[in-house]
Amino acid sequence: MTKDLDIHPLDELSVSGIAALDEKISGTYSPETWEKRVMYYIRRDPEGSFVAESGGQLVGFMLGEVRSGEFGLERATGWIEVLGVDPDFRGQAIGRHLAEAMLSHFRERGVERVCTLVSEQREGLMRFFGALGFEASDLRSLSLDLSPEPTSGESS
Amino acid sequence: MSVRATELPKAYHQAVERWRDTYLPDFGLLVERWDQFFPKDRPFRLCAYRECGPCGKIECGERKGEEKFVQVGEMGPDQATHLLSAVRAQASTEFGSIQQHQLTLSRAQDEQDQFWILRMMAEELRHGYQMLHLLLNDDWSKATSRSGADMVEEILSMRTGSHILGTFNVDFDSFVDNIVFCALIDRVGKYQLSMQKVSAYRPMAESMPEMLREEAFHLAAGVLPLRRWAEQAAQDSVYVSMPLMQKVINKWLPRGLEMFGHEKGGATNVRYGFKPMVNAEAQQAYYREVGRVLSDLNLRFIRSRFPELSHGEALELRRRVLDEGEVVQGMGPEDLLRQPHMDFYRRRGEPAFALVGFSGEVFEDPDLYLRHVLGHMPETYAAGRDFKGYADLLRQVHSGKLEAQEAARKTPNLSRVGGVCPCSKAVRWVDRGVTEAGLSPGAS
Repeated sequence: MTKDLDIHPLDELSVSGIAALDEKISGTYSPETWEKRVMYYIRRDPEGSFVAESGGQLVGFMLGEVRSGEFGLERATGWIEVLGVDPDFRGQAIGRHLAEAMLSHFRERGVERVCTLVSEQREGLMRFFGALGFEASDLRSLSLDLSPEPTSGESS
Repeated sequence: MSVRATELPKAYHQAVERWRDTYLPDFGLLVERWDQFFPKDRPFRLCAYRECGPCGKIECGERKGEEKFVQVGEMGPDQATHLLSAVRAQASTEFGSIQQHQLTLSRAQDEQDQFWILRMMAEELRHGYQMLHLLLNDDWSKATSRSGADMVEEILSMRTGSHILGTFNVDFDSFVDNIVFCALIDRVGKYQLSMQKVSAYRPMAESMPEMLREEAFHLAAGVLPLRRWAEQAAQDSVYVSMPLMQKVINKWLPRGLEMFGHEKGGATNVRYGFKPMVNAEAQQAYYREVGRVLSDLNLRFIRSRFPELSHGEALELRRRVLDEGEVVQGMGPEDLLRQPHMDFYRRRGEPAFALVGFSGEVFEDPDLYLRHVLGHMPETYAAGRDFKGYADLLRQVHSGKLEAQEAARKTPNLSRVGGVCPCSKAVRWVDRGVTEAGLSPGAS
């Protein structure tokens, strides 16, 4: 783990760092998008999402919240929804420290179950959550394709 | 962890609603359009929230590790008096900021900005209500002979000019004040609430979590419009320029720093377990955080003006311009926001009435200094009573007629006399001349 790692709740000043980290990973600079997302979490539970900083630079973030009454889950359930770690800082347990902070917050809020959704193709992410103790659950992800049917001229 | 919502006894609840009708006349509009601007958020409710958590032990001070106080009566008289001062000051700031924001709320150019400020005002009202809940829900006779009803009426009777903390007596000149106030002064609020979250008085500690959640939105209600203005300014927008933002920041930052109380104070609050940090420590952390806000805004400005730059290149450009004083492609240090020196334009605390300039330079002549200060303020500010009061005191201090710390206490202070009904209109004001010492939430 990097020595000066500081894990603290997300705030409105985290937007620029998250946008910069996303730009580093995706190549796209979209601060407005992240501003909207961050504001969503700040308005609902500002102490429930976390960022990791090293030397004053944002190197990771984990966004989530506690919800209930959705997907048939009546009891308060913690959801981990977005995770990002600076590629230059991977392998330094930043994701694990972010998750520990978030799980601790969930416990304080009386949460007994935490959920997330991970694509089976993202093996690294599957291993990450597996190492934290996450297991496949009885919740199944379902999806429906609503893209327009290709016309005959467009089919290959 | 459970959150309990309670309302004040009917007469007081109605008194707060009447106060709201007077000073927050757009509240109905906020309720009407809440779903349009905050569709995923819980509707606003005027009530006190208490988050009852597991931590019942005092977290700092001489009784660290002991059970927290559940009632004021369990404390010694001096400790109770300190706590009462903090609750009264907190209540005063919450109601005071609404009166300030109302002055210029209607001047917003953007409807979203306006509704965000309106929501923030409603939540400040709830924070004031929360403090009234603390005053009315306990027996404060160890700290004062005044009744809860009398204290509530005093707080609801305060107007801009008579609030306990000077910051809440400064008039707003434009909607830029609303925004900068949220970004800078509500940030002080965040520090105070964060510190009070560990308060040895359990009802105070339990009041903080929900207030902090709301305060996080208030900071964003300031920073997000500032970011947008910085980006627009980089495109030569004719509306809010970087120099105007700079001047409004210069107006409020010194007041924000003073809200932490005297730099040498705060030890008593720590000793009594009310706060984990002394004033200077919290003030320094706040000053650093404001530095982060300005860095963030400068970065937005640079990336908007030079969209071809990467994040790293923009950081390097910011460093060259601000640290090296370079002018790069027509952009120089004066185009970006700079943080005023901690001792600039101070009227309370260690540097009160010192002639310290924006960049830390020291002046000899008070009149030259006043011109320097005015050069860094919004133009309309010079015509206000706040600046005149400061200038008069500064001249007295530097002509030897008044000690600086004496001048620091000499802010206008008015007090209600007579009447005890919570909805009384019969309020008279008397000039006590000198602000009571030790009422700042950060003072000890």
